[in-house]
Amino acid sequence: MTTLACSSTNLSVAYRAEPVLRNVDFQVPVGSVMGIVGPNGAGKSTLMKALLGLVKPLTGQARFFDQPLAKVRQRVGYMPQSTSVDWDFPTTVADVVTMGTYGALGWLRRPGKRERRLAFTALEQTGMADFATRQIGELSGGQRQRVFLARTLVQNPDLYFLDEPFQGIDAKSQQAMVEVLHTLRQAGKTVVIVHHDLATLVDYCDHVTLLNRRIVASGQVAETFTRSAIATTYEVSEDQAAFLEFAS
Amino acid sequence: MSFVVGTALLAAVTAVACSLPGVFVVLRKGSMLVDAIAHAVLPGIVVGYALTQNFDSPVLIIGSALAGLVVVLGTEWLGRTGLITGDAPQGLIFPALFSIGVILVSTNFANIHLDTHMVLAGDLNLAAYRQLEIGGISVGPQYLYVMIIVLLVNIVFLTLTYQKLKITTFDPEFASTLGIATKWVNTAFMFIVSVTVTTAFNAAGAVLIIALMVAPPATAYLLSNTLPMMLTLTVVVAVIGAFAGFGIAYFLNAATSAAMAVFYGLLFIVTVGVERLLRRRSQTRSNALMSLDRELS
Repeated sequence: MTTLACSSTNLSVAYRAEPVLRNVDFQVPVGSVMGIVGPNGAGKSTLMKALLGLVKPLTGQARFFDQPLAKVRQRVGYMPQSTSVDWDFPTTVADVVTMGTYGALGWLRRPGKRERRLAFTALEQTGMADFATRQIGELSGGQRQRVFLARTLVQNPDLYFLDEPFQGIDAKSQQAMVEVLHTLRQAGKTVVIVHHDLATLVDYCDHVTLLNRRIVASGQVAETFTRSAIATTYEVSEDQAAFLEFAS
Repeated sequence: MSFVVGTALLAAVTAVACSLPGVFVVLRKGSMLVDAIAHAVLPGIVVGYALTQNFDSPVLIIGSALAGLVVVLGTEWLGRTGLITGDAPQGLIFPALFSIGVILVSTNFANIHLDTHMVLAGDLNLAAYRQLEIGGISVGPQYLYVMIIVLLVNIVFLTLTYQKLKITTFDPEFASTLGIATKWVNTAFMFIVSVTVTTAFNAAGAVLIIALMVAPPATAYLLSNTLPMMLTLTVVVAVIGAFAGFGIAYFLNAATSAAMAVFYGLLFIVTVGVERLLRRRSQTRSNALMSLDRELS
């Protein structure tokens, strides 16, 4: 049996009376790149947040490397959607990336030379080093995503949760993002990506979870990412599913 | 120390003590929460005064600050229930607490000498009235030293929690995934805000305190690219506004805290105007930068 980087059992989440996720058993093997796909409102981001304890689940729990999250926090990194923060915040690109080191710093230590060097390396990896001193509001959408990715890289976790990293980005940013994904995969890291583009899923991911409030199918792309599973997930006919696969 | 110098210093120290936590209040988009706290501390102040007969007593300050926290935590709790949304929870809790305070004042429960004007706008000159004397020599208003202590507490708190406050303000969800106790950082910060509001209550009252806390950082926000820059500019604006407001009030024989609030308002409007002009000019530059970025990519 392969070891799991992340697993949940019977995870259910509700926003007030509205159930968003039902009995989700989610499993991510170590070293895999797992894509989560599904229609709008399927609970993709919510699943990520519930796993990470950002949304309190109604039932169920998640484990990471066979431990509760509190024990392995430093090994788990999260890249939220870039729309979740105020980009007018008075801070620079380098400063935001340095925030990734705060978890390891504790209460009294301030980020020093080592932390700044780590931040710079992460910025170089994402091709954003030239922007280090820019105010974050002066960045394009793709550049913002790359800054957020760099902030997660700086933590050097073993398991990455990336929420829609390809959302609204330019070609250059996409290329930078893909290169980082390849590096992570080669380094044996585990990556979970919320993704909306079915056409490119197979290029990035070796595993996939089809989600629509519950898990429709989950496993290796070759066996799981079938037309009928896509049709069930998106609640469309198989012909329409074929269209989704290529046109999205 | 002459009364005028002492009162002017009191104005400046109060302004800086309020505006430093105000920086994070503005960045957390919680300005109106300060207003709610400033109203909610009233019952705490009245009961505290009944017990201690002293407005500067630490018991009164901590007690009232806890009443302020009731608004913060109660608002969060009501919001989490999902039964009411937006800022309605806030609107439900603080008028109730404020009303309890008003009833207590009007029934002579504490034999307290607070009139409506005092509760709403404070009176800096009255607050500065009691002088601290050491060896028979006046060293300025007693209240000045209370505000200096609060200022020092705020500086120590912000220095110790700077990183945590910054990250929980900018991206609270990311902060929790790093294992930072965002809830505790938030509660501790709101307690500090509450303590500051309570102590500054004498000088600025329930309504004007929000001007001292929010206007200088809001002005600095318009001009700052980094947090240290915003903190520095906030202090500069707070001090300039305090002295200017005090001067205006002194020559017009008007209320000091109101003059400060008006001056802060004017300074903010001027800054908005200047920033707009500068932005129009720099738009060309940033357009050029953007197209350069595109060419490079």
